[in-house]
Order: sequence, then C-alpha cells, then structure tokens
Amino acid sequence: MKDVLADIERLRARGEKIAIATVVASRRSAPRPVGSKLVVSESGEIFGSVSGGCVESDVYQNAQEVIASGEAKLVSYGFSDDQAWSVGLPCGGEIDIFIEPLEPEART
Amino acid sequence: MSVQRRIEQAVRGGERAAVLTVIGGDVAAAGTRVGAKLFVLEGGGEVLGDGPRSLVALAEALIRREKNHVIEHEGLNVFVEIVAPPPRIAVFGAVDTAESLCAMAKQLGWRTIVADARARFATHERLPSADEIIVAWPEEALAQIKPDHQTAIVVLSHDEKFDLPAIIGALGTDCFYIGALGSRKNQEKRRVRLLEAGIAEEQLSRICGPCGLDLGADSQPETALSILAEAVAIRAGRDGGRLQGSKGRIHVGVE
Repeated sequence: MKDVLADIERLRARGEKIAIATVVASRRSAPRPVGSKLVVSESGEIFGSVSGGCVESDVYQNAQEVIASGEAKLVSYGFSDDQAWSVGLPCGGEIDIFIEPLEPEART
Repeated sequence: MSVQRRIEQAVRGGERAAVLTVIGGDVAAAGTRVGAKLFVLEGGGEVLGDGPRSLVALAEALIRREKNHVIEHEGLNVFVEIVAPPPRIAVFGAVDTAESLCAMAKQLGWRTIVADARARFATHERLPSADEIIVAWPEEALAQIKPDHQTAIVVLSHDEKFDLPAIIGALGTDCFYIGALGSRKNQEKRRVRLLEAGIAEEQLSRICGPCGLDLGADSQPETALSILAEAVAIRAGRDGGRLQGSKGRIHVGVE
C-alpha cells in the first residue's frame, strides 16, 4: 500500500475512479511479494506493479472492467491457467490477483 | 471515514492493523459479498468496514504473524493484509559503520536509529542517514527506542561500557536480531562478562557475534551489507546461504 499511496491520493484528488489490483497469492515462484499493488485509473494511468511486467497489461484490461462494473474480481495467472497461452509468467509461477474498485469520494 | 482512508492513515501513521478482504467462497451463505472489507487496529480497539465481524477474533494473531496471505474462514476466502510500520534498526555506537548501516537500511525501507552517549560523535553531520539520533547511555536509549519484534539491534562501539549494557538491555526485549561487532577474542571476553552479569547461557545464543554473513567484507559498506544481510535472513527465518544449490523457496512469501 505504501508504494502506491501517493498515487491513490493524487488520483482521488482529481475525482477519478480507481481500481486497485493486489497480489493475494503466489505459488512456486513469484516476481513480486504477496500484497504488491497496481493502481489503475479510469483515464488509463498505471502505477505500481504486480509482476515483473508479465501480466500488467492483462490486469489493466481487467481493472478497466472493474472500474466500469463496480464489481471486484479475482484473476489468476500461471502455467496451469487457461490463459497461459496468452498471458503467463515466464518464471513458471502462479499468481492470484484481486482487483477491486475504489469509488471517488464526494467532494466536501 | 472510509475503510480505504483509514488504511491510508494507518500506513502513514506507522500503525499496526489487519485489513481483511473477502475475495471468494460462498459469500451468499455467509451473507456477505466479494470485496467486503474489515479494518482491525492492533489491540482490537477499532474495527471498521462491512466485512464479517467474526474475523475480528482472528486479527490479533494475524497482525502478530505479519504475513499477507489468504485464509479460509467459515466458507469464505479472505485476503489478510497487514499494515505495519517498517522494521527498525537501532545502532549503538556512532562509529563510521553506523552511517553505512543506516544508509543501507534506508534502502531496505527500514527506519534507522543511532544511539551514543558521546554528543561529539552522535551528530547529524556524521550520521546523515540516521532518522533519529539519541545521545544517551544504552539503558536510557533502549527505554526511548522500546525495541519490539520488528527491531534489529546492532552494537558497534567496541567499548565494553557501552556494549555490555546495550546487549544486556537488548536481551530483555523482543527484538528479532542482536548483532555485536568484534573479533572472536573479544566475543569470548564478552561472553564471560555477560555470564558474570547473570545472563543465562541459552540467552547468549540470541547474540550474533561476530555479526554478519561471511562475505569477506572489508570496507564499511561491505561490513554493513554483511550485517544487514544476516539481519534480513534471520527476520525471514533463513540461514543466509547461497541460493544456488539451496532447496527452499527463493522468496519467503511464496507457498
């Protein structure tokens, strides 16, 4: 959270909708520790990281869906996953990423 | 205040807390939703959010364990995220290795403290990387620092009248690392002194002395690297050997 705190605050100050993606589990090998975060804004900005760059663009797409729908979701990446042919981790690990919306707050 | 705002406040303020988020499982049966969240401050004095309240009872043990992971709870998958201040390193002895240690520890994101009774040495000019400088004798400095299970203590002064009380004081705390610089000959002398001072034999095994991994360190930064490498390994419950040929997981957080 600490790494992306300033980014969240800046985006919130602009009144943007945000999704936060968090690595909640990793198996076998993992490029980033559990708890690592990626912040995506409605306007398309990306801060932080959840892998060594292997899955960020797919997470970004999912995050945009989460922003649009307002519904949180869990996505998994890795060799054993169906998506492995398109989006995978070259290190052979598996990661689960939880993506949740952060609604803009009413201005006071 | 929203849960997210409270989390941010806790991160900024160096508070300890658990953030528990429902990420899956039978949410309908549990009467909750995916994304439901609970913020529990250490001590349980403050609980915020729409997550299942039955999680509150687990929070204290989870905070103590300080590990981000998914748990199963009443048919739910719950992501446990711990908010905690960074580890601290308290260096006793405002010698040049102290500055190297602080500079490198800051790279790790740790908070750095140097204590020395000699005001002439314990200055910000000599120790620009120290977040905090305490000019005091070890007992008093330790009382100010209040080392906890996320504090490493390194004793560098080479002077018994500083080192001994610092080590004895450190042994009375929960700190995760006690490192003491010094030759093997001095380690043995110190051992005898500590036993004379009434420290139990089994307590002495907590002291890493001579501290550091066997890197062949020569310069001050290399010595600092060696000491910090040992402290990082001990904090992670690792031996600090080479990854090549080791059988365990590379990253400590990986299942």
